[in-house]
Amino acid sequence: MLAVEVQREVTVNPMKNLICFGKNLAKASLWMGAIALLAVAFPLAASAALGGDAFSVQGDQIRLRASVKTTKADAYTVQEMTAPTGTVVREYVSPAGKVFAVAWRGPFLPDLHQILGASFESFTQAAHAQKGRRPGHGPVVVKQAGLVVVSAGHQRDFFGKAYLTDLLPQGVSTGEIR
Amino acid sequence: MTRQNIRKILSLFLFGALLFGAFGLIVGCGGGSSSTTPPQTITGTGSNVQAISVNGGPQSNYADAAFTSITVCTHGSTTNCQVINDVLVDTGSFGLRILGSALGSVTLTQATVNGNPLAECFAYLDGSFNWGPVQTADVQIGGETAHSLPVQVLDDAFSVIPSATCTGNPVDTQALLGANGILGVGPEQYDCGSNCTSNIPAFDQYYQCSTTTPSTCSVSSAALTVQVQNPISLFTTDNNGVIIELPAVTTPQSTITGSMVFGIGTESNNGLGTATVVEMDPVNLIFTTTFESNTMPDSFIDSGSNGLFFDSNSLTECSDVNYYCPTTTANLSAVNSGSTGTASVHFDVQNADMLFNSGDAALPGLAAPAGDNPALTEFDWGLPFFFGRNVYTSIAGTTAPGGTTPYWAYPPN
Repeated sequence: MLAVEVQREVTVNPMKNLICFGKNLAKASLWMGAIALLAVAFPLAASAALGGDAFSVQGDQIRLRASVKTTKADAYTVQEMTAPTGTVVREYVSPAGKVFAVAWRGPFLPDLHQILGASFESFTQAAHAQKGRRPGHGPVVVKQAGLVVVSAGHQRDFFGKAYLTDLLPQGVSTGEIR
Repeated sequence: MTRQNIRKILSLFLFGALLFGAFGLIVGCGGGSSSTTPPQTITGTGSNVQAISVNGGPQSNYADAAFTSITVCTHGSTTNCQVINDVLVDTGSFGLRILGSALGSVTLTQATVNGNPLAECFAYLDGSFNWGPVQTADVQIGGETAHSLPVQVLDDAFSVIPSATCTGNPVDTQALLGANGILGVGPEQYDCGSNCTSNIPAFDQYYQCSTTTPSTCSVSSAALTVQVQNPISLFTTDNNGVIIELPAVTTPQSTITGSMVFGIGTESNNGLGTATVVEMDPVNLIFTTTFESNTMPDSFIDSGSNGLFFDSNSLTECSDVNYYCPTTTANLSAVNSGSTGTASVHFDVQNADMLFNSGDAALPGLAAPAGDNPALTEFDWGLPFFFGRNVYTSIAGTTAPGGTTPYWAYPPN
């Protein structure tokens, strides 16, 4: 059902390029400039991934220093970003161009503020409230109107997913988000 | 109250009465189905032994967490020291993090990169993080000392927090942390490792800060020698792992005490005994738990998780908090298997509302869902797993008896 047509698209890793071009200062500074421009075009605070539009994926890509692979399924497109640590973040974009879900897995925690975007505050507040406002450590499961977030794992193995129920394209099962 | 609600309560009551009756019958017949608990010896004294306590911590609100005392000294001094109580014992992380406010007048040596002060942003999966400088100290735990140990000093006032990359909510006060520090004695030495050592690091965790006021910080590499690291790794002896020994608990207790024993098979008091070694995946530090016929490949043992966290097809969730609330204690079992080694485990899940209502700190059978059943696949064996069984955590790259490190070991039952 997933991956009807697979397009291996852009593989951009600006940071790797930076290292490779380290000896060539002129080229390196060009890259710096390009990154700065991208950062301006997609400022981190505004490039909320979950709930954001497809452009916001680029902000996440920069933040994660990730290569990107695009996969098209029936009802959505998946932008899969692999960070240099090996952590993979998958962003699910609806035909309407909205990121309706994100999922992550890998040895290092991705920047949850970046990939959860505007839902981050709801997530952290609910996470705190749910355990009866007691201190503690363990996986977090947040299920509230419109938003589901699961963040689990431990040092060297983190995984989770988040989706906005109102933005789920018709016919998409949340089990596909992983 | 609607009629439906009354009916629900009545049926719950009847169900409970039935269960109680059945239980009574079994006991009456002189035997249950629960397995025998292996004998447990808790080591009392020794140069490699440090007392630990499940007591709620400094805020008296931290359930199912073990705390200990450490002594932090200025490097090279045995007199310029501060005893820090209520430090969380965490076999799931690596490195010591202490509140700056708990250091008193003791000053530590600031670690530097390129001459600039080094700081760290250590993120947690709930969107919180620890922020503060990396400083080196001589740290005594029991009779062991880690000399020149890089530790994270939690202090939001150290600098402007670099919010572009260090995101979320800082938890750098006793009120937020529920502890005066976290003693990470897990299965690795370095808290980041090679992902933080490149000029442009693969992961944003370490920062170089300016010496201006206010100080500002930007992402930095950090050589292994300056990374926050497991104190056990810097002990001169008994440096291949740790045993956490806590007594069995069947009802909530205000305080229980036990021991943290350093080294595995290095002294007469830290042999494997009846424990079975279960080797973990050396990259992701996980093993597979089989529970309710489900295979959960992301499973792990972690004294710093304050409950058992797993998805279940049979347990009822509480209505008010995100924990399990079975009507009567559920006697369950699972099997843990690693790349080498398999060990069974019988465990209980108790009603979390009842446990929390006790107001006590040591809550046996405290358990909660781990995720979005059945998509997620972890069994997090937190502190309740440690009650009544000695649990061994060996450190990657060291030699320890019974298997290849990193591994966990415990007496199967």
